[in-house]
Amino acid sequence: MPTDLSGSWERDYSRGDDVNAVLADVLYRLSRTSPDARHARQSGYSGSTAVVPPQHRESAYALARLAEEITRPQVLTVSQNEHEISVARKDDYAIFCAFYGGMAKATESAYGTELCGWDGDQLVSNLILPDGLQVTHRFTVSQDGRKMRVVTSVSSSTAPLPFTLSRFYMKFAAPKSDFNCIETLSMKRVCSTTDIEL
Amino acid sequence: MTRSKDLLRALSVPLIFVLLSCIFVQQAVAEVGRDVSKLDVSIAVFDPGVPADPSLHRDLDVFPRIRKIESLFLPFILRETLVEMNEWGAIRVVPEPDAAAELLVTGTIVRSDGDILELWIRVADASGRIWVEKSYAGIVSDDYAHKNAEAGMSSYQALYDEIAADLLAARTQLDEMALAGIVEVSLLRYAGELAPSAFGDYVTNAPDGTLTVNRLPAKGDPMFDRIALVRSTEYVITDAVDTKFRELHTEIASVYDVWRKYRRKSVQYQVEDARRAQDNGSDGERGSYEAIKNRYDNYKWHRITEREQDTLAVAFNNEVGPRVDAMELRVEELLAWVEQKHDEWHRILEGLFEVETGLAQ
Repeated sequence: MPTDLSGSWERDYSRGDDVNAVLADVLYRLSRTSPDARHARQSGYSGSTAVVPPQHRESAYALARLAEEITRPQVLTVSQNEHEISVARKDDYAIFCAFYGGMAKATESAYGTELCGWDGDQLVSNLILPDGLQVTHRFTVSQDGRKMRVVTSVSSSTAPLPFTLSRFYMKFAAPKSDFNCIETLSMKRVCSTTDIEL
Repeated sequence: MTRSKDLLRALSVPLIFVLLSCIFVQQAVAEVGRDVSKLDVSIAVFDPGVPADPSLHRDLDVFPRIRKIESLFLPFILRETLVEMNEWGAIRVVPEPDAAAELLVTGTIVRSDGDILELWIRVADASGRIWVEKSYAGIVSDDYAHKNAEAGMSSYQALYDEIAADLLAARTQLDEMALAGIVEVSLLRYAGELAPSAFGDYVTNAPDGTLTVNRLPAKGDPMFDRIALVRSTEYVITDAVDTKFRELHTEIASVYDVWRKYRRKSVQYQVEDARRAQDNGSDGERGSYEAIKNRYDNYKWHRITEREQDTLAVAFNNEVGPRVDAMELRVEELLAWVEQKHDEWHRILEGLFEVETGLAQ
């Protein structure tokens, strides 16, 4: 049995990466590797992002903004059974993993391909989009099963470095509703305090 | 004079043959004792056409539970279409194919996405002669769906009308004697199943693979009368099962229509989405935030729409599932009763045959 990720997870804001700090780090690394930077170092100039080529700088900003948006949800709701894992996120699609016969199955469409699988105890989801854009999520649960770390990495063929953010979550028991609700087609959502009979 | 005698002799042979044929046909038809063109039709619950590999369901947009419901629901629309024609005898929806039925319709749902319905239909008579074996596809246009809904008809009525027309066309290929033969083979096959010692050899395989009557029971054969009585009893139960299918149809028709409309919209969205995916869809420079956000959002909305479809499927099942379960339970009870009685009748008839003839093995 792989790691159990199921349950409701709430973002732990006391931990995790600061987007601006990570961006600064990426820009610093870019500045260290760009040809202009090598030239600047030789002339005794250091410590500025000014030497990062503008297109690399813009790409880094773009990846940072997208990574920040993707990792914004406060709550993750994970449903898991033998064949499927679904990570529901507010205002975003549910990350989905299907395993049939022990093999992970890719979700393919005209818009992109979603691959996933287990890397040891970590669940890894990789979304491949056109133009070389990739979004990877790596889910790790602590040994006591109470905490989860999600490392999200966004990369693009136009950016020399990926942008990676870590987020931490704590498990919580979602409050039980006083109502039993089911979806129907003709009556939309039907709720009752007792069992529902249609 | 001699010439006219020769002519008379030459003409008399075919004339006698024609007359005898007419008498024989009339006898056969009279023995059947009903309008043989109005054959009884059994429409078996359709094969849902769900791939065995569950990993393909998502790719092919197949919701197994909904297909199961459709497999119970759609045959009834064909039944209603045939009833409307007033060209057939008793038309029943049956849970299992019955090879001894005078005319048996079996079908597989190849595609059903709210926009296109494709059915593979096979119709064979009791002698094994294939009447129809082909695929039927129906596409709904907005006007057509609206018009048919107002008239209380299926959105795919044209598809069912086409099947019905093909059945009628196939019937016109057969003369009265052939039709009477189907009725006889049907009853003899049933008799052979129920009392093989008495009727096991009444039908034989023809070289073309069909079944033909080998011999007929004597007029007033008490054993054959009993078989006919048992079959009419079984038909009472089959009619009760058919009533259950009719009730299900009445109960879920309106919800199914809503489901079908949702599905149709979803398919239209998918087509629009695919068109959008082919265009770049973004004015942003490659690698810019606008461009990559556009790529991500396209995927996001595609997946959210897909999820929405799953939710709709669940909603449909929430509403219709309990009724289908209740119907299936009742049908199972009726079938279990038939099976139990069938065994009993088989035992009694074989026993009677032994007592009456001393010939049973």
